[in-house]
Amino acid sequence: MLGLSIWHLNAGQLGIGVGEFWTAILDGGNSTKEIIAREFRIPRMITALIAGGGLAVAGMIMQTLFNNPLAGPYVLGISSGSSLFVALCTMSGIPLLQSNLGVVGGAFIGALVFGGIILFFSFFIRSSVSLLLVGLMLGSFTGSLINILEATSAASELKSFAMWTMGSLQNVQFSDLTILLSIYLPSLFLLVLLVKPLNALLLGEQEAQQLGLNIKIVRISCIAVTALFTGLITAFCGPIAFVGLAVPNVSRLIFRTQNHRILLPANLLIGASFILFGDILIQLLERTVILPINVFTSLLGAPIVIFIILKRMK
Amino acid sequence: MIEFKDTTIGYTSPLLEIDNMCLEIGNVYVLIGKNGIGKSTFLRSINGEINPIQGEIQIGGQISNKLSNSIRAKTLSFTAAGFKGIPFLSTFDYVALGRTPHTGLLGRLNEVDKEQIQRSLEITGISHLTQRYTDQLSDGERQLATIAKSLAQQTPIILLDEPSAFLDYLNKRTLMQTLKRIATEENKCIVLSSHDLDICLEVGTPILLIDQRLKRIHIAEENASKASVIQQAFGIE
Repeated sequence: MLGLSIWHLNAGQLGIGVGEFWTAILDGGNSTKEIIAREFRIPRMITALIAGGGLAVAGMIMQTLFNNPLAGPYVLGISSGSSLFVALCTMSGIPLLQSNLGVVGGAFIGALVFGGIILFFSFFIRSSVSLLLVGLMLGSFTGSLINILEATSAASELKSFAMWTMGSLQNVQFSDLTILLSIYLPSLFLLVLLVKPLNALLLGEQEAQQLGLNIKIVRISCIAVTALFTGLITAFCGPIAFVGLAVPNVSRLIFRTQNHRILLPANLLIGASFILFGDILIQLLERTVILPINVFTSLLGAPIVIFIILKRMK
Repeated sequence: MIEFKDTTIGYTSPLLEIDNMCLEIGNVYVLIGKNGIGKSTFLRSINGEINPIQGEIQIGGQISNKLSNSIRAKTLSFTAAGFKGIPFLSTFDYVALGRTPHTGLLGRLNEVDKEQIQRSLEITGISHLTQRYTDQLSDGERQLATIAKSLAQQTPIILLDEPSAFLDYLNKRTLMQTLKRIATEENKCIVLSSHDLDICLEVGTPILLIDQRLKRIHIAEENASKASVIQQAFGIE
């Protein structure tokens, strides 16, 4: 992953030396190269690390909580919540909401609101499969709402929303990194506390409870962490598909374990590497065609999911 | 260890009555009764998941449905029927989950935990399977793994719902003998539901008989004949 990070930093069209990266960070140099390094390359690399790792871990938590390898932040309707709120913001016609800040805030609030809705349902619905179905229904319900909004909106607003849904790592500036990192890094430490409950959850909620867990608190923390990560990442990068679904399965296949003490770092690493790699390809192809990150995640992610299904069938 | 005092159990309506009885450490009690008469409900009531409709169930002097989660997890272990194994979950990791109530916030295994896991694997005779994934074990081996997990949990009471289902005759017998040995040597009170009356009579474990007519559970007399047990439990002459 370190190698990929360095490659990623160097993947742009302009060659930038190692020394220039250092002066860009430490001394705040003002040459073109140093500004590009500070304002574009480094934020983009760190965003890739956060987006990949965060979404993969969110997917892992959902898959274990729902005992279903097909669960993920995308499937539970949490991403749809972000999309709906961003659609509302961009098409509201209110300049403040249409600004970057409005979109970021909207996406974040959307994820938390929909995470809250799922959480609310989870108190009444004991079966995980039913809860998953509720998430799917929520997702398609909001999908239709977004369609209605799209049908009634102006062309320019429609385009800016469409661009957002394709996902991008380039919207994060150096100053945004403080927000991203100040939420992401502490959450990672809290995640370590979820390792034990997640391991017990492998046996199902009933048996996890039998092993002394307070299942309600565990459920709330799992959904809250997922909503937080998904909201944060979707806010800055748009809805990035498939990482949350594919990477946790890949991690399990590679490390051949269900122990979350191993799976947690594995997902962080593989998720981050996956997005880094996709973004490097995007930058390499930039001269011929400009592609959004979502094209790559699904393009790489879909065959992986098919591969997993085939492997499971054996 | 487990004491019933004029207890009636059931979800919403009364299902079964239980005489005043006491289940002791060092025994394997086999619950025999018709399908659907309430065997699982009985086990879940002991486990404190279902409140008794009348009377109470005491575990070592404390009322079972009032135990806190963490104390319950150190007193009772309950394994539901039909664990099918989980891909990539190794037998060792599975048995290690039994240590959950004893480990700290981070769930790290210390030397004591590892010792207990090793011991549980040895007692059940599956030490050679630790690295195998639980979905690749045979039905008999997987059943032994669930018992190893219960042992690793170090609870005085072990509840098992139909542990011998899906096993062949030989495995059923070995399992019952293993459980009997564990109960006496490790000082456990084991309660399990089963349909294998013959093997229970052969191994000589006390039988908790569910009388199908009176909807009442009592301990069958020690020298009760097979015919009389069948007559009471299933209503066949």
